[in-house]
Amino acid sequence: MKEIAVEKQYVTGLAKIIRYSPWLVHFNTGACNGCDIEVLAAITPLYDPERFGVKLAPSIRHGDILVVTGAVTKKAGERLKRLYEQMPNPKFVIAVGACAIDGGVFNKAYSVLSGADKVVPVDIYIPGCPPRPEAILDGIVKLLSKLK
Amino acid sequence: MSFESKLSSLKKYFVEEQLIKPNRKVYVFKSSDIKYLFKELIDNFGFDNLYVSTIVGTDLLKEGLIRLDYYVVFLPEEVTVVFRTFISRENPVIDSLIDIIPGVLSGECETHDLLGVVFKGNPYLKRGFFVPKDIVDSKEYPLRKDSKV
Repeated sequence: MKEIAVEKQYVTGLAKIIRYSPWLVHFNTGACNGCDIEVLAAITPLYDPERFGVKLAPSIRHGDILVVTGAVTKKAGERLKRLYEQMPNPKFVIAVGACAIDGGVFNKAYSVLSGADKVVPVDIYIPGCPPRPEAILDGIVKLLSKLK
Repeated sequence: MSFESKLSSLKKYFVEEQLIKPNRKVYVFKSSDIKYLFKELIDNFGFDNLYVSTIVGTDLLKEGLIRLDYYVVFLPEEVTVVFRTFISRENPVIDSLIDIIPGVLSGECETHDLLGVVFKGNPYLKRGFFVPKDIVDSKEYPLRKDSKV
Protein backbone atom coordinates (compact mmCIF):
# COMPACT_ATOMS: atom_id res chain seq x y z
CA MET A 1 0.00 0.00 0.00
CA LYS A 2 2.80 2.36 0.94
CA GLU A 3 4.52 1.80 -2.38
CA ILE A 4 1.36 2.65 -4.32
CA ALA A 5 0.88 5.86 -2.33
CA VAL A 6 4.44 6.95 -3.10
CA GLU A 7 3.98 6.20 -6.76
CA LYS A 8 0.71 8.17 -6.92
CA GLN A 9 2.42 11.17 -5.39
CA TYR A 10 5.20 10.93 -7.92
CA VAL A 11 2.63 10.74 -10.68
CA THR A 12 0.67 13.78 -9.55
CA GLY A 13 3.86 15.78 -9.11
CA LEU A 14 4.88 15.22 -12.72
CA ALA A 15 1.33 15.30 -14.02
CA LYS A 16 1.22 19.08 -13.74
CA ILE A 17 3.69 19.26 -16.62
CA ILE A 18 1.58 17.26 -19.06
CA ARG A 19 -1.64 19.14 -18.44
CA TYR A 20 -0.51 21.89 -20.84
CA SER A 21 -0.01 19.51 -23.74
CA PRO A 22 -1.20 15.93 -23.33
CA TRP A 23 -0.30 13.61 -26.19
CA LEU A 24 -2.87 11.00 -27.09
CA VAL A 25 -2.50 7.44 -28.25
CA HIS A 26 -5.59 5.77 -29.62
CA PHE A 27 -5.94 2.00 -29.28
CA ASN A 28 -8.84 -0.08 -30.58
CA THR A 29 -9.25 -3.27 -28.56
CA GLY A 30 -12.06 -4.66 -30.71
CA ALA A 31 -14.47 -1.80 -31.38
CA CYS A 32 -17.02 -1.74 -34.18
CA ASN A 33 -15.30 1.42 -35.49
CA GLY A 34 -18.09 3.71 -34.25
CA CYS A 35 -16.09 5.09 -31.34
CA ASP A 36 -12.92 5.23 -33.45
CA ILE A 37 -14.60 7.50 -35.96
CA GLU A 38 -15.80 9.78 -33.15
CA VAL A 39 -12.30 9.88 -31.64
CA LEU A 40 -10.93 10.83 -35.05
CA ALA A 41 -13.65 13.46 -35.40
CA ALA A 42 -12.71 14.89 -32.01
CA ILE A 43 -9.17 15.66 -33.19
CA THR A 44 -10.25 17.46 -36.37
CA PRO A 45 -9.96 21.28 -36.70
CA LEU A 46 -13.75 21.53 -36.29
CA TYR A 47 -13.39 20.67 -32.61
CA ASP A 48 -9.86 22.16 -32.45
CA PRO A 49 -8.29 20.04 -29.71
CA GLU A 50 -5.03 21.97 -29.97
CA ARG A 51 -6.53 24.78 -27.91
CA PHE A 52 -6.07 22.33 -25.03
CA GLY A 53 -2.65 21.30 -26.32
CA VAL A 54 -4.02 17.90 -27.32
CA LYS A 55 -1.91 16.24 -29.98
CA LEU A 56 -1.41 12.71 -31.27
CA ALA A 57 1.73 10.94 -30.11
CA PRO A 58 3.81 9.37 -32.89
CA SER A 59 4.59 6.39 -30.66
CA ILE A 60 3.15 4.85 -27.51
CA ARG A 61 6.46 5.69 -25.79
CA HIS A 62 5.73 9.39 -26.23
CA GLY A 63 2.10 9.11 -25.12
CA ASP A 64 0.55 10.64 -22.02
CA ILE A 65 -3.06 9.54 -22.44
CA LEU A 66 -4.18 6.18 -23.82
CA VAL A 67 -7.61 6.38 -25.44
CA VAL A 68 -9.15 2.91 -25.39
CA THR A 69 -12.17 2.08 -27.57
CA GLY A 70 -14.05 -1.18 -27.86
CA ALA A 71 -14.74 -4.21 -25.70
CA VAL A 72 -11.43 -5.59 -24.47
CA THR A 73 -11.12 -9.10 -25.86
CA LYS A 74 -8.93 -11.60 -24.08
CA LYS A 75 -6.36 -11.39 -26.86
CA ALA A 76 -6.40 -7.57 -27.10
CA GLY A 77 -6.15 -7.38 -23.30
CA GLU A 78 -2.59 -8.70 -23.38
CA ARG A 79 -1.65 -6.10 -26.00
CA LEU A 80 -3.36 -3.32 -24.06
CA LYS A 81 -1.38 -4.18 -20.95
CA ARG A 82 1.87 -4.25 -22.93
CA LEU A 83 1.10 -0.85 -24.47
CA TYR A 84 0.28 0.64 -21.07
CA GLU A 85 3.53 -0.64 -19.61
CA GLN A 86 5.49 1.04 -22.43
CA MET A 87 4.08 4.48 -21.66
CA PRO A 88 6.24 6.87 -19.62
CA ASN A 89 5.00 8.09 -16.23
CA PRO A 90 2.76 9.97 -15.62
CA LYS A 91 0.19 8.12 -17.74
CA PHE A 92 -3.57 8.12 -17.92
CA VAL A 93 -6.21 5.98 -19.57
CA ILE A 94 -9.55 7.12 -21.00
CA ALA A 95 -12.21 4.51 -21.78
CA VAL A 96 -14.36 5.76 -24.66
CA GLY A 97 -17.78 4.22 -25.29
CA ALA A 98 -20.04 1.68 -23.63
CA CYS A 99 -17.87 -1.27 -24.71
CA ALA A 100 -14.65 0.09 -23.22
CA ILE A 101 -16.47 0.85 -19.96
CA ASP A 102 -17.90 -2.60 -19.21
CA GLY A 103 -18.03 -4.58 -22.44
CA GLY A 104 -21.37 -3.12 -23.54
CA VAL A 105 -23.43 -5.66 -25.47
CA PHE A 106 -20.41 -7.99 -25.47
CA ASN A 107 -20.36 -8.20 -21.68
CA LYS A 108 -19.94 -11.86 -20.56
CA ALA A 109 -19.13 -13.07 -24.09
CA TYR A 110 -16.69 -15.98 -24.08
CA SER A 111 -13.85 -14.06 -25.71
CA VAL A 112 -14.26 -10.74 -23.90
CA LEU A 113 -12.83 -9.44 -20.61
CA SER A 114 -15.48 -6.68 -20.47
CA GLY A 115 -14.15 -3.25 -19.53
CA ALA A 116 -10.71 -1.76 -20.05
CA ASP A 117 -10.41 -1.38 -16.26
CA LYS A 118 -10.04 -5.16 -15.99
CA VAL A 119 -6.56 -4.75 -17.51
CA VAL A 120 -5.34 -1.19 -16.90
CA PRO A 121 -6.35 1.51 -14.39
CA VAL A 122 -8.87 3.84 -16.08
CA ASP A 123 -9.03 7.51 -15.09
CA ILE A 124 -11.99 8.78 -17.11
CA TYR A 125 -14.99 6.91 -18.50
CA ILE A 126 -16.86 8.48 -21.43
CA PRO A 127 -20.26 6.80 -21.92
CA GLY A 128 -22.13 6.66 -25.20
CA CYS A 129 -22.59 4.36 -28.14
CA PRO A 130 -20.71 6.10 -29.63
CA PRO A 131 -20.05 9.23 -27.56
CA ARG A 132 -20.06 12.54 -29.41
CA PRO A 133 -16.70 14.17 -30.19
CA GLU A 134 -17.56 17.00 -27.78
CA ALA A 135 -18.01 14.42 -25.02
CA ILE A 136 -14.62 12.88 -25.76
CA LEU A 137 -12.88 16.27 -25.68
CA ASP A 138 -14.80 17.17 -22.54
CA GLY A 139 -13.53 13.98 -20.91
CA ILE A 140 -9.94 14.84 -21.79
CA VAL A 141 -10.34 18.37 -20.45
CA LYS A 142 -11.95 17.05 -17.24
CA LEU A 143 -8.97 14.75 -16.78
CA LEU A 144 -6.57 17.67 -17.27
CA SER A 145 -8.43 19.84 -14.78
CA LYS A 146 -8.15 16.98 -12.25
CA LEU A 147 -4.37 17.31 -12.47
CA LYS A 148 -4.25 20.89 -11.23
CA MET B 1 -16.72 -17.29 -73.91
CA SER B 2 -19.18 -15.61 -71.60
CA PHE B 3 -19.17 -15.86 -67.83
CA GLU B 4 -22.27 -18.09 -67.75
CA SER B 5 -21.00 -20.51 -70.35
CA LYS B 6 -17.67 -20.83 -68.53
CA LEU B 7 -19.55 -21.74 -65.36
CA SER B 8 -21.94 -24.08 -67.10
CA SER B 9 -19.00 -26.14 -68.35
CA LEU B 10 -18.52 -27.13 -64.68
CA LYS B 11 -22.04 -28.49 -64.43
CA LYS B 12 -20.82 -32.05 -63.88
CA TYR B 13 -19.70 -31.12 -60.35
CA PHE B 14 -22.94 -29.46 -59.29
CA VAL B 15 -25.54 -31.47 -57.43
CA GLU B 16 -28.00 -28.60 -57.11
CA GLU B 17 -28.43 -24.99 -58.15
CA GLN B 18 -30.11 -22.43 -55.89
CA LEU B 19 -30.78 -18.72 -55.79
CA ILE B 20 -30.65 -17.28 -52.28
CA LYS B 21 -31.28 -13.72 -53.43
CA PRO B 22 -31.29 -11.94 -56.77
CA ASN B 23 -27.82 -12.08 -58.34
CA ARG B 24 -26.52 -14.54 -55.73
CA LYS B 25 -26.27 -18.03 -57.19
CA VAL B 26 -25.47 -21.04 -55.05
CA TYR B 27 -23.98 -24.22 -56.50
CA VAL B 28 -23.96 -27.27 -54.28
CA PHE B 29 -21.16 -29.76 -54.91
CA LYS B 30 -19.86 -32.98 -53.34
CA SER B 31 -17.15 -32.31 -50.74
CA SER B 32 -14.84 -34.92 -52.29
CA ASP B 33 -14.83 -32.94 -55.58
CA ILE B 34 -13.60 -29.67 -54.09
CA LYS B 35 -10.04 -29.85 -55.47
CA TYR B 36 -11.15 -30.81 -58.99
CA LEU B 37 -13.82 -28.11 -59.00
CA PHE B 38 -11.47 -25.29 -58.01
CA LYS B 39 -8.69 -26.52 -60.30
CA GLU B 40 -11.12 -26.45 -63.21
CA LEU B 41 -12.41 -23.04 -62.13
CA ILE B 42 -8.86 -21.69 -62.31
CA ASP B 43 -8.30 -23.38 -65.68
CA ASN B 44 -11.52 -21.93 -67.09
CA PHE B 45 -11.37 -18.41 -65.69
CA GLY B 46 -7.65 -17.89 -65.12
CA PHE B 47 -5.84 -17.59 -61.79
CA ASP B 48 -6.00 -13.77 -61.76
CA ASN B 49 -9.73 -13.60 -62.46
CA LEU B 50 -11.15 -15.09 -59.28
CA TYR B 51 -10.58 -15.06 -55.57
CA VAL B 52 -12.13 -16.76 -52.56
CA SER B 53 -13.39 -13.84 -50.51
CA THR B 54 -14.50 -15.86 -47.52
CA ILE B 55 -15.36 -19.32 -46.24
CA VAL B 56 -18.50 -19.49 -44.10
CA GLY B 57 -19.07 -22.54 -41.95
CA THR B 58 -22.46 -23.27 -40.40
CA ASP B 59 -23.20 -25.99 -37.89
CA LEU B 60 -26.42 -27.86 -38.73
CA LEU B 61 -26.99 -29.74 -35.49
CA LYS B 62 -30.28 -31.47 -36.45
CA GLU B 63 -28.98 -32.77 -39.76
CA GLY B 64 -25.60 -33.75 -38.25
CA LEU B 65 -23.81 -31.77 -40.95
CA ILE B 66 -21.52 -28.78 -41.29
CA ARG B 67 -22.29 -26.53 -44.26
CA LEU B 68 -19.34 -24.84 -45.93
CA ASP B 69 -19.93 -21.88 -48.25
CA TYR B 70 -17.04 -20.74 -50.42
CA TYR B 71 -17.76 -17.19 -51.59
CA VAL B 72 -15.91 -16.78 -54.86
CA VAL B 73 -15.69 -13.42 -56.62
CA PHE B 74 -15.11 -13.42 -60.37
CA LEU B 75 -13.28 -10.54 -62.03
CA PRO B 76 -13.65 -8.26 -63.90
CA GLU B 77 -17.44 -8.84 -63.66
CA GLU B 78 -17.25 -8.64 -59.84
CA VAL B 79 -19.88 -11.34 -59.58
CA THR B 80 -20.05 -13.26 -56.30
CA VAL B 81 -20.97 -16.92 -56.56
CA VAL B 82 -21.38 -19.29 -53.63
CA PHE B 83 -20.05 -22.83 -53.86
CA ARG B 84 -21.69 -24.86 -51.12
CA THR B 85 -20.85 -28.25 -49.72
CA PHE B 86 -21.80 -30.37 -46.72
CA ILE B 87 -19.51 -32.47 -44.55
CA SER B 88 -20.32 -34.73 -41.64
CA ARG B 89 -20.34 -33.19 -38.19
CA GLU B 90 -18.65 -36.14 -36.48
CA ASN B 91 -15.74 -36.28 -38.91
CA PRO B 92 -15.48 -32.81 -40.48
CA VAL B 93 -12.65 -33.32 -42.96
CA ILE B 94 -12.30 -31.66 -46.36
CA ASP B 95 -9.35 -31.10 -48.71
CA SER B 96 -7.52 -27.82 -48.29
CA LEU B 97 -7.29 -25.38 -51.20
CA ILE B 98 -4.18 -23.67 -49.87
CA ASP B 99 -1.87 -25.22 -52.46
CA ILE B 100 -3.91 -23.90 -55.39
CA ILE B 101 -5.40 -20.69 -53.86
CA PRO B 102 -3.12 -19.25 -51.12
CA GLY B 103 -5.76 -16.64 -50.23
CA VAL B 104 -7.92 -19.19 -48.44
CA LEU B 105 -5.48 -19.25 -45.49
CA SER B 106 -7.46 -16.97 -43.19
CA GLY B 107 -10.80 -18.52 -44.12
CA GLU B 108 -9.60 -22.05 -43.47
CA CYS B 109 -7.82 -21.12 -40.23
CA GLU B 110 -10.94 -19.32 -38.97
CA THR B 111 -13.30 -22.17 -39.82
CA HIS B 112 -10.94 -24.65 -38.19
CA ASP B 113 -10.68 -22.52 -35.05
CA LEU B 114 -14.39 -21.82 -34.61
CA LEU B 115 -16.01 -25.02 -35.95
CA GLY B 116 -13.30 -27.67 -35.86
CA VAL B 117 -13.32 -28.37 -39.59
CA VAL B 118 -10.06 -30.06 -40.61
CA PHE B 119 -8.70 -28.86 -43.94
CA LYS B 120 -6.52 -31.76 -45.03
CA GLY B 121 -3.19 -30.52 -46.42
CA ASN B 122 -3.12 -27.09 -44.77
CA PRO B 123 0.09 -26.99 -42.67
CA TYR B 124 -0.85 -23.73 -40.93
CA LEU B 125 -3.97 -24.95 -39.13
CA LYS B 126 -3.83 -24.41 -35.38
CA ARG B 127 -6.23 -23.60 -32.58
CA GLY B 128 -6.01 -20.12 -31.10
CA PHE B 129 -6.10 -18.23 -34.41
CA PHE B 130 -9.05 -16.16 -33.11
CA VAL B 131 -10.25 -18.07 -30.05
CA PRO B 132 -8.68 -17.18 -26.67
CA LYS B 133 -6.45 -19.70 -24.96
CA ASP B 134 -8.84 -20.82 -22.21
CA ILE B 135 -11.44 -21.87 -24.80
CA VAL B 136 -8.74 -23.70 -26.76
CA ASP B 137 -7.69 -25.56 -23.60
CA SER B 138 -11.28 -26.60 -22.88
CA LYS B 139 -11.45 -27.97 -26.47
CA GLU B 140 -14.65 -26.02 -27.23
CA TYR B 141 -15.59 -24.91 -30.73
CA PRO B 142 -17.55 -21.67 -30.18
CA LEU B 143 -19.62 -21.73 -33.39
CA ARG B 144 -20.90 -25.26 -32.82
CA LYS B 145 -24.53 -25.16 -31.77
CA ASP B 146 -24.00 -27.45 -28.78
CA SER B 147 -21.06 -25.39 -27.50
CA LYS B 148 -21.52 -24.12 -23.98
CA VAL B 149 -19.32 -21.02 -24.21
